[in-house]
Amino acid sequence: MTLIVADKLGRTFGRGGDRVQALVDVTLEISAGEHLAIIGRSGAGKSTLLRLMGALDTGYTGSLRVDGRELRGLGDSDLSRFRNTRVGFVFQAFNLLPNLTVGANLVLPAFFSDALSESEAEKRARSLLERVGLTDKWDTAPLKLSGGERQRVAIARALLLHPPVLICDEPTGALDEETAADVLDLFEEVRAERNSTLIVVTHDHSIAARAQRTIRLDGGRLVSDDGASA
Amino acid sequence: MNTRRLVGLVVANVRGSKASVALATVGVAVGIAFLSFFVGLGEGLRERVLNRIFPANQLELEPRAVRIFGVEGTLGQAPLDDVRLGAIAKIAGVRRAVGKQKSAFPARLWGGKRLLGFNLHAEAFFDGLPAGLMRPELQKTEAQRAIPLVGAAGGRCDVDIDCRPGQRCVDGACEVIVWSRWFDTELANFRCDADDECRPGRACVDGQCRSSATSGPESTGKALVQRCRLRSDAEQWAILADKSRGHVVVTCDSNKAGCVTSRRCPEPQYCAPDHPGTLDGTCELPVPTVLNPLLLEVFNSDMAASLGIAKMASTDVLYGVRYHIKIGDSHFTQDAERRRQMVKQAIVVGFSAKAPELGVAMPLEWVRYFNARLAGKEKAGLYDAVIVETASNQVVPGVIDAAEDLGFALSRRSRIARTFGTVVFLVYLALVLIALVVLAVAALNIAQTLAMLVHERRREIAILRSIGANRRAIWALVVGEAVALGAVGGLVGYGLAWGGAVVVDAVAAELLAGMPLVPESFFLLPAWLPAVAVVTALSFCILGALGPARRATRLDPADVLSQG
Repeated sequence: MTLIVADKLGRTFGRGGDRVQALVDVTLEISAGEHLAIIGRSGAGKSTLLRLMGALDTGYTGSLRVDGRELRGLGDSDLSRFRNTRVGFVFQAFNLLPNLTVGANLVLPAFFSDALSESEAEKRARSLLERVGLTDKWDTAPLKLSGGERQRVAIARALLLHPPVLICDEPTGALDEETAADVLDLFEEVRAERNSTLIVVTHDHSIAARAQRTIRLDGGRLVSDDGASA
Repeated sequence: MNTRRLVGLVVANVRGSKASVALATVGVAVGIAFLSFFVGLGEGLRERVLNRIFPANQLELEPRAVRIFGVEGTLGQAPLDDVRLGAIAKIAGVRRAVGKQKSAFPARLWGGKRLLGFNLHAEAFFDGLPAGLMRPELQKTEAQRAIPLVGAAGGRCDVDIDCRPGQRCVDGACEVIVWSRWFDTELANFRCDADDECRPGRACVDGQCRSSATSGPESTGKALVQRCRLRSDAEQWAILADKSRGHVVVTCDSNKAGCVTSRRCPEPQYCAPDHPGTLDGTCELPVPTVLNPLLLEVFNSDMAASLGIAKMASTDVLYGVRYHIKIGDSHFTQDAERRRQMVKQAIVVGFSAKAPELGVAMPLEWVRYFNARLAGKEKAGLYDAVIVETASNQVVPGVIDAAEDLGFALSRRSRIARTFGTVVFLVYLALVLIALVVLAVAALNIAQTLAMLVHERRREIAILRSIGANRRAIWALVVGEAVALGAVGGLVGYGLAWGGAVVVDAVAAELLAGMPLVPESFFLLPAWLPAVAVVTALSFCILGALGPARRATRLDPADVLSQG
């Protein structure tokens, strides 16, 4: 089943002479449960594409439909609900809130959703924390965790509301090789368990090699897609 | 996002930015402290100082004076009698209108030997005031005086002198003498239809209870008038109750002039001679009088040093002091004929700012009686001013207008009162405005702090947006922090104001000890003030937060998160 459909997707930043075309006519279909890697050099448009698919940015041209809904026409509330329930983000910089404990960071998505009660959210968050091997870190401040641990917390947070799409922007960029491998294994396990769509942006070919499908961007254009025919 | 979760996030954010938040809170707290302090001071000055001296709903009106060739008079106006008094009472908004009569006779007073070591002599001026006008004030003063006695260690005594002034020794314990009841009783019993409506020792003559004043021919034969005889001139001028109590005279067959018994006039009465120099008189109570507390200030500042005596610590020392008044006698003007002169004992039963600054207030009926004796019955039937009590402060201007139409004008005291009231109000307004300016500056500070916090937390806001926070939630989060700042700042500010008021009162009590008109507290912090303080703080903080909150909602999460 096709989950994401991009048709001649384009994104331009700046005005007049300073205009930069970050994405140009990208056409792409991503199925539910697919593990997709997006590779390319810096400035190729990887992160731009990721943010468009994650509804963080809707200033695109062309069409981008997720779950059959065109993202550009959605208002702030709908976009927020979409990000809350349909997408889980994992960033290179982990992006945990430093003022909150690990537990509070984990239940944060439930703050903006009616899907779970507080007790349900906490129960699920503790279960996820156990899943990522950090059971005893519930009350710990994020700054007291190692990079790998923080990323595990970030993954657990992204999974709290069971989003069908998991979007990861250089998720292992700040981790050592061994930790990175553990995190990637975790991603793969989660994807397999939940049949989630996993979209990973990376410039590391070894990470891309783990994906079922790899697309390459260059100068904002889709230059290769090894699963285009699939 | 529900309120509980919002509060949790706000608290976490506030904890995470303690220094900035504390700085912003200090600004709000200082502003609110200024506001609460000034409001409390303004309310206190109005209620506890100004309103005590010049009650806002109490006016004194006089027949409008006309000045011709430098001479002031009430040309062409009907005299201020009960009819004109009634006209004033009928003005809409007037709750009560009572007449005030000034003494129209020369008089002098002397006394204070027990207090000062010598008798102080002065010319005396009297204002006759309805007792009800000062009753609450006198009773309040007495209630306050009674407080230290409750459970006072010892308070034991053998004789009166063991007790403080204003107290007497009863069954081995000091007890406050409630003189104001006496003042009240004087009025209550002054009007009568029969003798038995008057208290013992008085007789009803021409509808009024009379004691010493009626001790002349007209009261002869009135059974309730207790005649007495002094043994010597010295007893007449003695102020000590025992010496001046004379001896009761009873009718006896053998001597038509009466038989002198060994009984004395009952305490606290004294034997009031019928005329100066005579030894025969009637047993009666001293005339209850009320002094203006400013007298003490005048005494302390101007007289004590020149007389070479110590300053009086407070009005307490004068409370219950007896002194002589000689009606119809003057140091400066021609005396009344001797047979119309009277010597009375008076007693200080309380202090009130409604008493004349340089004079003595006594029940209206006493002044009326003295005026009748020395200035004629016509004068005694007229008033010099009307004291008007209005239903509320709001109706005062209308009452003044209506009174002016009836040929009245505000008395000097009332004019001063209104001027003071206006000045206090303007100062109060200015202080509140200053506090509001401080708060406005605090709001700017809040705006700046929150803008800084929003800038510092751009990434956090973007993260929240990425996990599903909508713009409304981000707005609520920033404004929620402002609400937290406002609530804490408001409460802390009010606490500071309260503490400041306590300190100022303590310092004032130290520096102004014993001075008249100094209230227990210069501040009146009404029950609504904490709520107003917090609401004002919240309002200013929310106002200051609106800009930063709007900026926070407009942050582009993609842009912020792409900055690494």
